[in-house]
Amino acid sequence: MNVLLVALGSTVGACFRNELTVASRKTKIDFPWMTLLINIAGSFILGLVTAKINNKAMLLFLGTGICGGFTTFGTFNFELSQLWFQKRYVSCFVYFIAAYVFGILGYIIGMQF
Amino acid sequence: MKKFYTFLIIFIGASIGGSLRYLIGLMFTVSSGFPWGTLFVNLTGAFVLPLLIHYLHDKFHLQVDTVLSLTTGLLGAYTTFSTFTADTYKLFQTSNYMMLSGYLIATLLGGFLCAIFGNYLAANLATKEYLREKKES
Repeated sequence: MNVLLVALGSTVGACFRNELTVASRKTKIDFPWMTLLINIAGSFILGLVTAKINNKAMLLFLGTGICGGFTTFGTFNFELSQLWFQKRYVSCFVYFIAAYVFGILGYIIGMQF
Repeated sequence: MKKFYTFLIIFIGASIGGSLRYLIGLMFTVSSGFPWGTLFVNLTGAFVLPLLIHYLHDKFHLQVDTVLSLTTGLLGAYTTFSTFTADTYKLFQTSNYMMLSGYLIATLLGGFLCAIFGNYLAANLATKEYLREKKES
């Protein structure tokens, strides 16, 4: 039952992520800003969910499921490595720092609401 | 119709990826409180993703849909960034500073190195395969 809740939530999160990433490719900005935004927003929402919700099943569906499936560590590091191989070291560094700093800050701010 | 099909293949990938993450998390639950589960899924996911995109994709002649299901769906849902931030905050709040620094270094450095190494391995394997095929023909 718990696995099912997580699976269903992950699907919703991943579909949202896909829609947003596809839409973001229409802009001509050559920087993975959408994944950055997704990871920060997902961390913020997880903080919010953790602080507000006590029901374990709801927490699994919304937190572990939706937020976990929405945010991604694999794509983030893949994009970092692509920037690295393209010798765009400044972009790589900025992306690295921004994701971790604002991601953790996002979670903390979400917890305060 | 195409939209529904995209939804369906991501649905399949993400439900498997998300379940795997959850089950691995349960398996790695230890009394010390160190988030081994999140670390494990994130590092393995970061390593496999470049391998999939740059090598397995060609080797097994995977279709674009299959690759989307595996990358965005399965690996995207398998790895997680939000749980990482939650783990970090939890370790900070409980003053587990040793574990916190270990976790941060392992994730930040490990994730990046895994992705770089995955890329190198993919390029290496692809070159070897290409040379072998050239020799045979």
